[in-house]
Amino acid sequence: MMRRRTLFGASAGMLAVPSLARAQGGQLQVAGVYSLSGTFANVGDLLNKGTQWAFEHYGNAAGQRINYTLLDDQGDPGRAVRRVQEAMGQGVKHIVGCTTSAIALAVAKEVHARGGVYIHMAGADEATGSECNRASFRWPGASFTAINATVRPFIERNANAKRWYTITGQYVFGESLLTNLKSVLQDAGHQHIGNSYHSLSEREYSGYITAAISARPDVLAICNFGNQTLDVLRQAVSFGMKRNVKIVVPWSTGLDQFQAWGPDICEGVYFGVNYWHGVEAPGNRVVQQVVRQKTNGTTNYLQACGWAVAQMLVEGANKAGSTEIPALIRALEGLSYEGPTGTELIRAEDHQVIKDYYLMLGKARSAMRDPADFAEVVAGTKAFQPPERTGCRMT
Amino acid sequence: MSGQVLVFQLLNGIGIGMIYFLLSVGLTMIFGLMRFVNFAHGALYLVAAYAAYVVSQATGSMLWALLFGPLAAALLAVVAERLLLRHTYAMPHEAQILITFAVALIVQEGVILVFDPLAKNVPVPDFLSGIVFLGPFVYPAYRLAVVAVSAAVAVLLWFALERTRFGAILRAGSESTEMVSLLGIDVHRVFLGAFALGGALAGLAGALAAPLRGVEPFMGLEALGIAFVVVVVGGIGSFTGALLGGLLIGVVQSVMSSLWPEGARLMIYGAMALVLLVRPAGLMGRA
Amino acid sequence: MSAFREGGRFPDASTVGIAATLVALPFVLPSVTLASEVLVFSVAALSCAFLLGMVGLLSFGQGLFFGIGAYVSAVLLKDHGLATLPAVAIAAGASAIGAGLIALLAVRRHGVYFVMLTLAFAQMGYFAMLALNHVTGGENGLTGVPRPPLLAGMGALSGSEAIYAFLAVLAFAAYLLVQRVGASPFGSVLRAIRQNEPRAEALGYDVRRFKVAAFALAGLLAGLAGAMHTVFLGFAPPNVIELEMSERLLIMAIIGGAGAPGAAFVGAGFYVVMADWLSTLWPRWLMLIGFLLIAIVLFLRDGLWGGAAAALHRLRGRGHG
Repeated sequence: MMRRRTLFGASAGMLAVPSLARAQGGQLQVAGVYSLSGTFANVGDLLNKGTQWAFEHYGNAAGQRINYTLLDDQGDPGRAVRRVQEAMGQGVKHIVGCTTSAIALAVAKEVHARGGVYIHMAGADEATGSECNRASFRWPGASFTAINATVRPFIERNANAKRWYTITGQYVFGESLLTNLKSVLQDAGHQHIGNSYHSLSEREYSGYITAAISARPDVLAICNFGNQTLDVLRQAVSFGMKRNVKIVVPWSTGLDQFQAWGPDICEGVYFGVNYWHGVEAPGNRVVQQVVRQKTNGTTNYLQACGWAVAQMLVEGANKAGSTEIPALIRALEGLSYEGPTGTELIRAEDHQVIKDYYLMLGKARSAMRDPADFAEVVAGTKAFQPPERTGCRMT
Repeated sequence: MSGQVLVFQLLNGIGIGMIYFLLSVGLTMIFGLMRFVNFAHGALYLVAAYAAYVVSQATGSMLWALLFGPLAAALLAVVAERLLLRHTYAMPHEAQILITFAVALIVQEGVILVFDPLAKNVPVPDFLSGIVFLGPFVYPAYRLAVVAVSAAVAVLLWFALERTRFGAILRAGSESTEMVSLLGIDVHRVFLGAFALGGALAGLAGALAAPLRGVEPFMGLEALGIAFVVVVVGGIGSFTGALLGGLLIGVVQSVMSSLWPEGARLMIYGAMALVLLVRPAGLMGRA
Repeated sequence: MSAFREGGRFPDASTVGIAATLVALPFVLPSVTLASEVLVFSVAALSCAFLLGMVGLLSFGQGLFFGIGAYVSAVLLKDHGLATLPAVAIAAGASAIGAGLIALLAVRRHGVYFVMLTLAFAQMGYFAMLALNHVTGGENGLTGVPRPPLLAGMGALSGSEAIYAFLAVLAFAAYLLVQRVGASPFGSVLRAIRQNEPRAEALGYDVRRFKVAAFALAGLLAGLAGAMHTVFLGFAPPNVIELEMSERLLIMAIIGGAGAPGAAFVGAGFYVVMADWLSTLWPRWLMLIGFLLIAIVLFLRDGLWGGAAAALHRLRGRGHG
């Protein structure tokens, strides 16, 4: 037994992770929660890069040197919470980032309970709705925004396309998109003629698409996220749906998805995105410049998201003149700054960032001015649920 | 839902089912021959899909991709068999499952390492990018071509198994490996050949599926899950079983996505549970 | 040493060893929360190791029962205001019942078929979780699960150290349970089934009923681990019921070696600590786990525990006895 215990001791000593030093004078410890391995590695890496580059760019917050550490959750929300518990136990109070909504919602609870601040990019409505709390802030617009900022301007331009069919992911986020879409259609007096649900792990959509085609809609709306959005649109286009049906994808991540589809699929399709590199804004120019220096490429949504949550933390601390949590939270509430989509405002009531959400229209291959010029901005709208209707009761 | 739509969903299901057949037949064949469960079967599909992606990027031609995809998968299967798998033939099933599972893990992570974790598009070949009108319905020309290729491969494979010397050895081997070796045939070379063939078939499925669903590193795991269901439903080790199982699962999935969309995926497993209750050995399996 | 394989005494030296390790763990590892994670997965891996080592059943589906335990306990704590201990007990019981029901179907098949069935049922559990999203929270999981007192009237369960202590007691109880079963007549029958099923049947044992009972017991352990996971994190994430969880638990059991209950603890500890450390070095660390798995199957059939035991044996100069 003795031998085994010493063995254990030795290996643990060897494995001891460089512990996150306590926040000392002149140094601000910030931790990012991202998935670099596991199923969500595809987004985690880009998000993390965005955050890291933003902190490098700003260098200081409220006069303190920023020291950024990544907590890799391996795509496992349980591990994300565990690593946040660990980091906060070692004195870290400023947390940013998430790869999935499940991670964000759980980390938000944890950070709030332990007296920190958390800025993230979850897609779930609950983050600034029923599960909101004083410590958490969210950058992107969620399902209400995605639908209202895309479907309303779409209807203005296509008043004759009245019959809508939806293909929806049967999960919380898909359902939220669908519910919001239905109420917008009702407002506009348009018809919702049918819906097909698919599960979170579906990969073959020809059955749903056939059902959609036989309903003879004017518009097909795709209400899901991630790789499933890629697959549904790809398969819908392969079934020739673009011939006589307009396709709307209210929730898209933009450039990285456009690259995965290629221009032939994107042409003529409407997309809703939280960020677009082509938007003229001082905040956007800064992000663009840094990303181009680092990658020699164009900024995508994920990098911009990662950037934005870091920028919010820095701007808030600078305004507060302090990184102390209560002062920082007070400063963030109502803060207005030049972000990646123009002037952005953090709403005090629910800690949602009020910013533009874009309706885009895919361009033909021949009309593209550069390899990233997949689509043009049709409308940029700040469409947010009024705070009293989000279901957020600040705690 | 009108009867017309149902008929069409049925046809579409047969289309899906043919790909499922290609995906599963190698798995069932290798099991029938040497009682070996290959958890790396999905990895072969994955590698071929990425090979198709690379080749179609480099040459712009999907036809080359259809050749190189299966080749890459067969190569991987042969290398894995020589280096690892043959050391496990004498081991219990559990060891074989774990080793092949580990191979699948390594291949999946390797793909992320070489490429990146983002999904990629593989364009449909130009001459098949249109749609075909089938009465009141439309169907992508490429999907039709996939069904045609799969059917042709099924026929060829059936011929190879029934009418060639190699096929006779394979069939005899699935009855009794000792008998085959008593006849003076090098069993290990037969095994190697079976792995190469199984790999090429999974690879063909992967290369054909790439333009349909794009490529991403976790597609192998998903394919493996489907292949298992097909094999269990059809009966392990049976060529006809794989065909029937693939078609049944494809049709169930397609028809259900009209009748009860949210349950389409669940019904695949429902169909499997039902078959197991009625015929525990699968449709064509021997108890 | 290999209590599963040959049957052992209860308690023995390893019982003391495990107790000592549980006490030492939070001081040896970099953080208490990491030690807690090790405990949760130790119990879960114990479930896999018990099935494989004792009954010879390879299950790719223990994540399903882990998930049932996690969700049932989360719902009981969050919506029904139960105290922690009864919630954990009911969750483990629910998993045991679920496992028993599935076993009724699955034990109709042997070998590879059985493995594939466990895998398929694990997949099905994931779809069920998504379909029941008003109960399970769907892809968002169940957040904000409270940590009430162990029993009504006792002090609240607060602080990482208190939680660790609670989890350690549960993990030790699970270990004792498995060890006790291993040393019992029931355990001997299970071993007989593993060694030669037809012979066990010929001796008059109802093999299927024994297998169902063993599977239910494994379900109980996995469910207990799931409930521990919920208590530990105050959260039931959706991935607790994913196929990947089943795979992870199996990998832990194999790395440790399925020969003895203690091996599961070693396997889980090794995996959790390695994952924590390797992931900071290289995001593709799972590849290394793949190579390790191959090495263990080919060269170290009884896993790290078996390897260590053999090395110890040789060191003591007992030769090949």
